[in-house]
Amino acid sequence: METKEHPTVGKKKITPDKCVVTGKGEWYFPLSDIYETPDNFTILIDMPGVGNENISIDLRGSELVINGEVSQEAYTDEKVVYNEYNIGHYHRHFVISDAINRDKIEAKISDGVLSLVLPKAEHVKPRKIEVRTE
Amino acid sequence: MGLMKWDRTGPLDSLTHIQKEMIDLLDILSSTPQMEGYASMEFPPIIVSANEEHVFVRAELPGIQIADLDIQVVDDVLTIKGERKLVTVTAKATYLRRERNYGTFARSIMLPEKVDIERVSASYKNGVLLVKLPKAAEAKPKQVMIQKA
Repeated sequence: METKEHPTVGKKKITPDKCVVTGKGEWYFPLSDIYETPDNFTILIDMPGVGNENISIDLRGSELVINGEVSQEAYTDEKVVYNEYNIGHYHRHFVISDAINRDKIEAKISDGVLSLVLPKAEHVKPRKIEVRTE
Repeated sequence: MGLMKWDRTGPLDSLTHIQKEMIDLLDILSSTPQMEGYASMEFPPIIVSANEEHVFVRAELPGIQIADLDIQVVDDVLTIKGERKLVTVTAKATYLRRERNYGTFARSIMLPEKVDIERVSASYKNGVLLVKLPKAAEAKPKQVMIQKA
């Protein structure tokens, strides 16, 4: 079942030997960190080569789908001498729960790192319960 | 060690046993650790390419401050040094997942050709470092004129 939203994803691998950089449309699984603070969840995803203009983040139901595309045009007149990584697009998706306020998800990308801030919904935030005296 | 069963085998059978042991040992020694992905990998991963005029070195370095990078060329060895700093999050943050690596790194690579050290330039865009090294004049192909005697 391969669709545009859910392409087949492989693990980005180390290429031990010389290899030619071609392969338009290879998709890789980017590395990510997720941390939780009292108000938010933050997801950081390494997507080297992806700029502001070729990233798409979609929320479909409870699924957050992140696709980043890398331009592979730079190598037109260059010959690859030595290669350690494959150039390809990035795809990753996360299932998010009701604990997240979906209207307020924010994303920004800088220097190839995407950061997504998912604010917690009001009902799951820690709050103090006041004790009334009668 | 007590008594061992005496196998009625030919004198050469023990040699095949030794051979088998040796093969097993070599298998153990030569197998590379089965590490997945980035852990076993040199950081940053690079691609070296060349055209007629330049040698290009690209490195995937997402999320690095330019000030934390140090690039040097000595003869035909390019050294990329730097540090990937942990984003300072508030003390109350709890990590739920951690796949990205942090810390200092350094790696040196031998360039495929002599380069003009004076005119090396580097740029950093979208987390990819590109070092552009013009080939030295003596490394470029030169047409030899043939004179008729």
